[in-house]
Amino acid sequence: MTEASPPVVETRGLTKTYKGVQALQDLNLVVQRNSIFGFLGPNGAGKTTTIKLLLGLIRPTAGTASVFGLDIIGASVDIRARVGYLPQEPHFYEHMTARQTLDFAARFFFQGPRKAIDERVEEMLTLVDLEKKADRPIRSFSGGERQRLGIAQAQVNYPDLLILDEPAASLDPIGRRDVLEVMSRLRKHTTVFYSTHILDDVQRVSDTVVILNRGRLVAQGPIEELLAGGEGGVYLVHLRGDTEAARRQVQALPWVTRITSGEHAGEMAWQVSVSDPRAAEDQLLKLLVNGPVVVTEFRRKLYELEDIFLQVVEGGPHVRQ
Amino acid sequence: MSGNSAFVMVTERGWRRGLGNLLRSEFAAWWKTRQWWIQCLIWGAVIGFMLGAMIFGSPDFDPEEAIFVYAIFAGMFPAVAVVIIMQDAIVGERQQGTAAWVLSKPASRPAFILSKLAANSVGVLATMVVFPGVIAYAMLSYADGAPLALTRFLPALGVIFLNHLFYLALTLMLGTLFRGRGPVIGLSLGFLFMQQYLVGLLPILKFVLPWTLVIPLNNQNDAIAPALLTGQPPYSLIPIAAVAVEILVFVWIALIRFEREEF
Repeated sequence: MTEASPPVVETRGLTKTYKGVQALQDLNLVVQRNSIFGFLGPNGAGKTTTIKLLLGLIRPTAGTASVFGLDIIGASVDIRARVGYLPQEPHFYEHMTARQTLDFAARFFFQGPRKAIDERVEEMLTLVDLEKKADRPIRSFSGGERQRLGIAQAQVNYPDLLILDEPAASLDPIGRRDVLEVMSRLRKHTTVFYSTHILDDVQRVSDTVVILNRGRLVAQGPIEELLAGGEGGVYLVHLRGDTEAARRQVQALPWVTRITSGEHAGEMAWQVSVSDPRAAEDQLLKLLVNGPVVVTEFRRKLYELEDIFLQVVEGGPHVRQ
Repeated sequence: MSGNSAFVMVTERGWRRGLGNLLRSEFAAWWKTRQWWIQCLIWGAVIGFMLGAMIFGSPDFDPEEAIFVYAIFAGMFPAVAVVIIMQDAIVGERQQGTAAWVLSKPASRPAFILSKLAANSVGVLATMVVFPGVIAYAMLSYADGAPLALTRFLPALGVIFLNHLFYLALTLMLGTLFRGRGPVIGLSLGFLFMQQYLVGLLPILKFVLPWTLVIPLNNQNDAIAPALLTGQPPYSLIPIAAVAVEILVFVWIALIRFEREEF
């Protein structure tokens, strides 16, 4: 994919108000092709509202958005022809079987031939391990089985964009793992835009993350960048020897913003905050190794997504809009 | 993943997008479930027992009276069933979340409404008008000693169907205007049963309300379907035209309102 590829999703000032309550405020985001885009936020943050806006199920109060360069209001049906969608709580016609449901979903995209549609339906049933229950009415399905059927129907057209609203919420750990594997596998073929509140899932499979809180975007960026602590970074250094002299040298570097120190197993443990991680990686370790100290550990501090999530939801330092 | 090159893609555009698939699904909900034979059984039994009781149970049987009673039974009671079936078409799907799921696919909102209208109209026509109509035709012809003239019987069935179509379109429209089942059923059935009083208060209303399509007001010639069945001239054709226009207006409002609906 070239750099010049237009974004799959782009929103500009997207806003939705329900009876005076702002569900989504001034959302600006860009989803690049073939990314797994994690859409994170607490309940009521505006995740489902955003998804429904993109699908044309609701209309924006203000702002605009495009999917594949098509306007979400004027070309909604054309957008949906290239999208697969798994709702947060999938609801299907209870009298239909899983096979009939997939056939029904497929026929919104394909006229025929019959054999090819049957094969695609069979492929989807296999994908979500529902072959043995394919001919049972959906009214007899458990929540997990409905969720798996939902994942299958969302992919029946091999969509260019797969939108999943809390895809793993009602699955057991094995089901969750399977869904994440499917998402990772699909990255080669499609763009995955999914909302979740399961931070571990986002950290495992996403390459770009957006965090929403109370309808506002509070953090956005590549997952590595967010986990590294934003645009700057923090380096953990364990050392012994004349640490005071080394500290004065490091403190003098223009891109070092802060050093906090403590003792750990008889050694000094520093956390060096920097504004330029590349300069730190090039120069910091060299400077210390050539100085009056012995360096026993040097690495960039990685945050857990949970730390970041809690920080931004409470208005912490990672906020970037 | 091998892509979609093996498929013939859907070519419907605009308001017709998804219509074929939705029609197939709606027709299947009538004809590939128990729905069709349950409705046939109910209305076949109602008409059969009612006419049977009159023809075989009374020594002073009057064929004309049987025809009038048939028109009333065939016109009024299935209309109640139409309301009950149709209240689920929009409100039920919205409450169950299936409407949002279908509309997340490449299907237009007019296609969603029109598929409900078309499939249910055909279902009602076949199971509530034609099937019991055939039974009534056979029994009334037997009782009369000669086949009834189809030139009288078929137009009468058409008027009975127009009556049902009115309640079908009314309930469909109300389903797009209200979120709960209560107002949809209440207003539809309330309207059905209140007409007699409304026409009593303001007689001119009989020309624009569907009541006199099937049910007489004061004398037997006041209703169009019974008049057609007995070979009498209908008191007026205006109610037929008025109800047809009202059906179109209801459908138009349903289409406009559903286009603005949020899921």
